[in-house]
Amino acid sequence: MKKINIVLLISILAISIFGLIMITSSSYIWAEYKFNDPFKYFKHQALFLSISIILMIVVSKIDYHIYFEKANIFLIVSLILLVLVLIPGIGSVRNGSRSWFGIGSFGIQPSEFSKLILIIFTAKYLYNNEKNLKNIKKGVIPILGLVMIVFGLIMLQPDFGTGVVLVMIIVGMLFIAGVDFSFFLKIGAVGIIGVVGLIAVAPYRLKRILSFLNPWEDPLGSGFQIIQSLYAIGPGGLFGFGLGNSRQKHFYLPEPQTDFIFSIISEEFGFMGVLIVACLFITIIYTGFKIAIKCNDLFGKYIVFGITFWIAFQSILNLMVVVGLIPVTGVTLPFISYGGSSLMILFLAIGIILNISRYQK
Amino acid sequence: MKLYLIVGQSNNNLSFFSYNFIGDYMFFKNIHTRIKIVLLIIIFLFLLITAKVFYIQVIDYDKLNNYASNLWSRNLPLEANRGKITDRNGVVLADNITTTSLVLIPNQIKDKEKTAEMLSEILNVTYDDMYKHVSKRTSIERVHPEGRRLSYEIADKINNLKLEGVYLVKEAKRYYPYDTFMSHTLGFVGIDNQGLSGLELMYNGYLTGEYGAIKYFSDAKGNRLKLNEIYEEPQNGINVTLTINYDIQTSLERELDNAMLKYNPDQALGIAMDPQSGEILAISSRPNFSPSNYQDYTTEEINRNLPVWMTYEPGSTFKIITLAASLEEKLVDLEKDNYHDSGSITVENARIKCWKAGGHGSQTFMEVVQNSCNPGFVILGQRLGKEKLFDYIDKFGFGKKTGVDLNGEGAGILFNLDNVGPVELATTSFGQGVSVTPIQQITAVSAAINGGILYKPYIVKSLNEPETNAVIKENKKQVVRKVISEETSSMVRQTLENVVSLGTGRPAYLDGYRVGGKTGTAQKVQDGHYMVGNYITSFMGFAPADDPKVVVYIAIDNAKGVTQYGGTVAAPIVKQVLYDSLIALNVEKRKDGTEKRYNYLDKKYIEIPNVVGKTVDQAMKDLKSFKVEFSGNGERIAYQSPIASTRIYEGETVRLLLTN
Repeated sequence: MKKINIVLLISILAISIFGLIMITSSSYIWAEYKFNDPFKYFKHQALFLSISIILMIVVSKIDYHIYFEKANIFLIVSLILLVLVLIPGIGSVRNGSRSWFGIGSFGIQPSEFSKLILIIFTAKYLYNNEKNLKNIKKGVIPILGLVMIVFGLIMLQPDFGTGVVLVMIIVGMLFIAGVDFSFFLKIGAVGIIGVVGLIAVAPYRLKRILSFLNPWEDPLGSGFQIIQSLYAIGPGGLFGFGLGNSRQKHFYLPEPQTDFIFSIISEEFGFMGVLIVACLFITIIYTGFKIAIKCNDLFGKYIVFGITFWIAFQSILNLMVVVGLIPVTGVTLPFISYGGSSLMILFLAIGIILNISRYQK
Repeated sequence: MKLYLIVGQSNNNLSFFSYNFIGDYMFFKNIHTRIKIVLLIIIFLFLLITAKVFYIQVIDYDKLNNYASNLWSRNLPLEANRGKITDRNGVVLADNITTTSLVLIPNQIKDKEKTAEMLSEILNVTYDDMYKHVSKRTSIERVHPEGRRLSYEIADKINNLKLEGVYLVKEAKRYYPYDTFMSHTLGFVGIDNQGLSGLELMYNGYLTGEYGAIKYFSDAKGNRLKLNEIYEEPQNGINVTLTINYDIQTSLERELDNAMLKYNPDQALGIAMDPQSGEILAISSRPNFSPSNYQDYTTEEINRNLPVWMTYEPGSTFKIITLAASLEEKLVDLEKDNYHDSGSITVENARIKCWKAGGHGSQTFMEVVQNSCNPGFVILGQRLGKEKLFDYIDKFGFGKKTGVDLNGEGAGILFNLDNVGPVELATTSFGQGVSVTPIQQITAVSAAINGGILYKPYIVKSLNEPETNAVIKENKKQVVRKVISEETSSMVRQTLENVVSLGTGRPAYLDGYRVGGKTGTAQKVQDGHYMVGNYITSFMGFAPADDPKVVVYIAIDNAKGVTQYGGTVAAPIVKQVLYDSLIALNVEKRKDGTEKRYNYLDKKYIEIPNVVGKTVDQAMKDLKSFKVEFSGNGERIAYQSPIASTRIYEGETVRLLLTN
């Protein structure tokens, strides 16, 4: 058995520790204001990061083939959890979404788990249905149907961002598995027709969708977050104000340690900081895809691709929102944004990739 | 997790999965191609994101940084200094002193009760009012007016409290170093340093500076951040340099103050002008006011800058215009033409009396002017005819504003030419029945004596850059028109010098300087009737008569306890102002003037002979017209004071130092 992929491990640790530093820097103002403890978020995240690292090491030693066997059970458990979280009294509401199983300030999002579970299940499904993939009805529709059920459950919370990430991961996996290109074009076409239809029925939707292009039209409403984000990124300039010197974190940007943490990175480290973060992500994604390509096992290949594509898609989605390229969707930046359960699942997933990397050619 | 740990670490399954892949190379290749496509798309998107960040941070930097700075920064405004107003030589007439004002930033005041209590005690404001100030929902709050322009002691007390959210910022306060000096003309400013009258109002746009600020950074809740403050320097206002000469102005102010004490008149005014340019050298009026306590005065007292505002019958000073017109039209030979004044003249059944009961008898027209004989001027007016006389009056600038750069100027009233009959023509020619302003008169007389050129009067010489005092804009003398010829003007000067040396203007005689002038005594009109025993006595004087450097006009309204003639009341004042002006302007004494004609009561000026080196006996003989005081011992004179050829009044003291 080979060694785990050291580049991936180091990149992941680097980006997570950088994330922890940035969480501390961006959150201490709010933390002191809300909890009288400037290091509240730091402590929380540091604890979760420690647990996550241990979890990753453990998982990296577990032969991933076990997931092939257990995938169906995982899926069923995951679906049950997604249903349970919707029941008031069991699931709790945070930021307007009933997405949490919470004990005190600790919370776990079943939708985060469901991403990983669905990647594993889809990998198994694609492996089993290798020959059927050319047949849309037999090969693609069943798995897409399942994904839409999970998407539907997540949208009931509602958590649009997570739902979109989930669907796109599976679409990405279907794509590399060799599903006809024309199928994606058809789905795309249907999507566009749907959007056009919605706009035709109520033209104000177009305005709302496009409001991110000129956030100053509604500076206190839909444009507020993106304006505050631009006010952080812009003045950062080439080299930024330096660690700890962000101004926007002083109550201007709400919850700066979560979705918009990249703005604070841009403000404190400038364009250089942005380049470093982008490079770290690209290293992780490139390494992930390389492991996928080198993997002899189709199941493992699909899992590695799925997880890597998840990280790639979610970080791109987050960054495009933060820099104002797309409307606000509400997804976190993997490894960097504050959030315990999200971090744990990501490290779990990385652990799986690291395990798979042991079986490379 | 436990479940996996138990099951994990078995490699057996590997073969189970791998068996059918090795031969499926093409299928793998297909997957790998698609993964690479996905990777390329992802890298492209990251580049797009990076490019967008670059755009935001570099291309949009200025705009966003600007917006964001405005969002983060709070300004503590710093008041700019108002531009100074100076005389022509740089003497500051309106200055600034720095005071401090209280500024509250309610968001930063944590303990509102304590802050309100302490401040209300120091500033003498009720606790409730102060509490309202400290808890107001605003970014910056001023306590007006109690917290403005604080004295040093109060500011120091507040500073020592070191209260959070309580700031002291600089404010500039207008300061008039000479208080009532030129008060109407300079004007004054309100609590916010805005010009409210006079030049302060007229030139407010130039004098007002631009606010600066101390910018500090604040969080979204208004708390101050520990970041460096940015100091934006306030932009001081533009300085205004006047044509005023401080020394002449001081003399005028002093003389008007003396006149107020001596005669207790209703009003008094004076102007000094450079006749060669129309520059106003001094201007003042009484009653005046203290600009720092402007609230204590009525609007009339503040706004009536009499030299430009007041209109009244000029009286005899107006005869200068009739004289100049007659000479220009060559209608009179002053030396050769004679006129017999019987004490009155009858014009179309109206009997116009001379001011001297019984008349002046037989006189040349030169003497008519010297005596200020009214019937004589009626004759001149008749020779001119109404069209010509009124044409000259118009050309000399009467009946309309001179356009001087002072506010509140009056235009005066003249007869409508169609309504002028023989009586109106007669009275106008000696200065009755017309209404003019002092500035019109002095401007017109300047033209009559300066070679015939009417200049537009002005008081602002230049606008100057606040730091370097470099000239931004300069006002130059402005010719309105040529009114009379150089020769005529020369004759007017000579005639008016005679008035001072030999005629009614003798109280204005200054030995050694050639003074010309004309008296004026005008009855005041109330409700269409002349008032009894209530005159405006005036004098228009200038010097030196051969090359006039300064014209001074003084008018005293209703002087009490004195015979109200221009000669007795106003002429001595003009004399003093002229004397001070000539010294201020470094004008040399003249030798070739017309010698004063002395009455038996008048003291004479006598030149002191040289006695240095002579014996005591000889010196006593030479100095018999003077009192002599000795000091030291000896036979001969070592030193005399005043020195030889100085002219002093007879009977005054000459001091001699003796030696062997």
